[in-house]
Amino acid sequence: MTSDTTATSTAPGGGLRRLTGGLGTVLLCLGTLLFVLPFLFTVVTSLRTAADVARSPLGFPDSLTLKNFSHAFSQIHYGRSTLNTLLITGLSCVIVTVIGSLAAYPLARITQHWSTAVYRLFILGTSVPVFVVVAPLYLLMRDLNLLDTYAGVVLIYTALNLPVAVFFYTSFIRTIPGDLEEAAALDGCGPFRTFFTIILPLLRPVTSTLLTFVCLQIWNDLLVPLVFLQDPDKRTVMVNAYSFIDPHTVQPTTLFPAALLGVLPLLVIFVFFQRQVVAGMSAGAVKS
Amino acid sequence: MFHRRRATMAAFLLPAIVVYGAFMLYPLARGVYLSMTDSLGGPMANFVGTEQYRSMADDPAVTSALWHTVLYAVVVVVVQNGLGLLFASMLFRRPKVRKTLSVVLLTPALISPVMAAFIWSYLFAPTGGINAVLDLVGLHSLNHVWLGDTSTALYSVAAVNIWMFTGYSCAIFLASYMSMPTELLEAAELDGARGWRRFASIEWPLLAPALTVNVTLSLIGSLKVFEFPLVLTNGGPAGATETLTLLVYRNVFGGGKFAYGVALSVVLLVTVVVLSSATSSLLRLRERRI
Repeated sequence: MTSDTTATSTAPGGGLRRLTGGLGTVLLCLGTLLFVLPFLFTVVTSLRTAADVARSPLGFPDSLTLKNFSHAFSQIHYGRSTLNTLLITGLSCVIVTVIGSLAAYPLARITQHWSTAVYRLFILGTSVPVFVVVAPLYLLMRDLNLLDTYAGVVLIYTALNLPVAVFFYTSFIRTIPGDLEEAAALDGCGPFRTFFTIILPLLRPVTSTLLTFVCLQIWNDLLVPLVFLQDPDKRTVMVNAYSFIDPHTVQPTTLFPAALLGVLPLLVIFVFFQRQVVAGMSAGAVKS
Repeated sequence: MFHRRRATMAAFLLPAIVVYGAFMLYPLARGVYLSMTDSLGGPMANFVGTEQYRSMADDPAVTSALWHTVLYAVVVVVVQNGLGLLFASMLFRRPKVRKTLSVVLLTPALISPVMAAFIWSYLFAPTGGINAVLDLVGLHSLNHVWLGDTSTALYSVAAVNIWMFTGYSCAIFLASYMSMPTELLEAAELDGARGWRRFASIEWPLLAPALTVNVTLSLIGSLKVFEFPLVLTNGGPAGATETLTLLVYRNVFGGGKFAYGVALSVVLLVTVVVLSSATSSLLRLRERRI
């Protein structure tokens, strides 16, 4: 390990500083390792046999097996529930992006009392916990016959994520200079054509950031599908994992593969879209 | 672009306003109304005013859930941001490992709380990972039933939350570090400000906006924690990890006390809004003073 501190090594006492810097790097790596250790442990344990784990939980595996995964796969009806989760997440993402960006355009360009009021109303939603609306939403969904339907859950997710989308898009559109749009207006281009030909293409980077954020929220959520989807055929991965597996009675060799299967699609996305995911997760920090 | 074009404006705004209004604002308003009735979730309900709220005062479950929620939030906010800051300040000085380690640290935040709770429920189990590690290094005396002891359960649940989101706090602090003006840092270097002095007099003030964001986000997040206590302990042992959200969930969907549960959710909303806006405006005031 070498020290990477800036030009300090030439200063008097640089050797000592170099040493402490190197020591810090080692500590830093160890600290980070501590954070991923539970992951590594989970992966290794899920590949061992139950008897092997019981003999020595921390030992090295005698032999590796994929049986645990196939068992967990059927126990949480992984195929079906993954499709359900994908469908719900995908639809919600599309609707949030489309109607969120449409609404953000006038909110970003009009500076009047009513538009700031509408904007504030949307932002208000960012601090409302789902719990506050879950009971009245249940009654509403029951009255609209939307309980146990994909549509109901998608509408709820859309409403829950619109505030973030509106915030994202409005602040982004405000940074786009209005010249292009004025030129387009002079050429007889209406707001709709202007939006789709000029604004929308510029929104691509902010959309990918927003989408990773929204995707994570929806994919990982338990409460909404738990409350609004009772039909076993429509349940999501998280709900199935939660309802079929009791972590306190189940062997780690069942528990861990189930946990990994639930995470798997997101980890795949993470590997491919690493930069967007990091930006999307720091989404909340955009305000500063 | 939108001069005198009310119809176009409406077309842009309408879809979002309809969905948001119907499935967010309307339920919010109806929730506040329901909390002032004796509704059981059916069509019949009588207006009872503040009765639900008044009966909370005599309900020890409410005061203890409120206390657990706030204690949990304080522990998470302090430890998570402390660790995140420590990691960020160390990573900033080590450009070679910076990117890799910060991404690695962020991975726990990717997984769902249910999955994190699965992993940790085994690590915390009496014969599980943590106790086995303690045995391995000869600290058998520290073995503990982490989730089964009323004195450690809440902190153990908080530890899972901290494990998940430390990388997130770190990423926000690190972004703030990276945007610091290099001239300022170089000038400090020339003046011989190093180590703690450099951190306290230069970096810490510049980190103020990131601190505001981090504290506010983690505060809101931990006040509305649900999956961790639900999966890890289900509120137990003896109610030691019963949070406001769990109480809302049980009352609303557990049968019999629907309106009471709704009233509790309004209490949750007020708690979140009051604490988070008070904290963030205090921190913003501090930003301006620095």
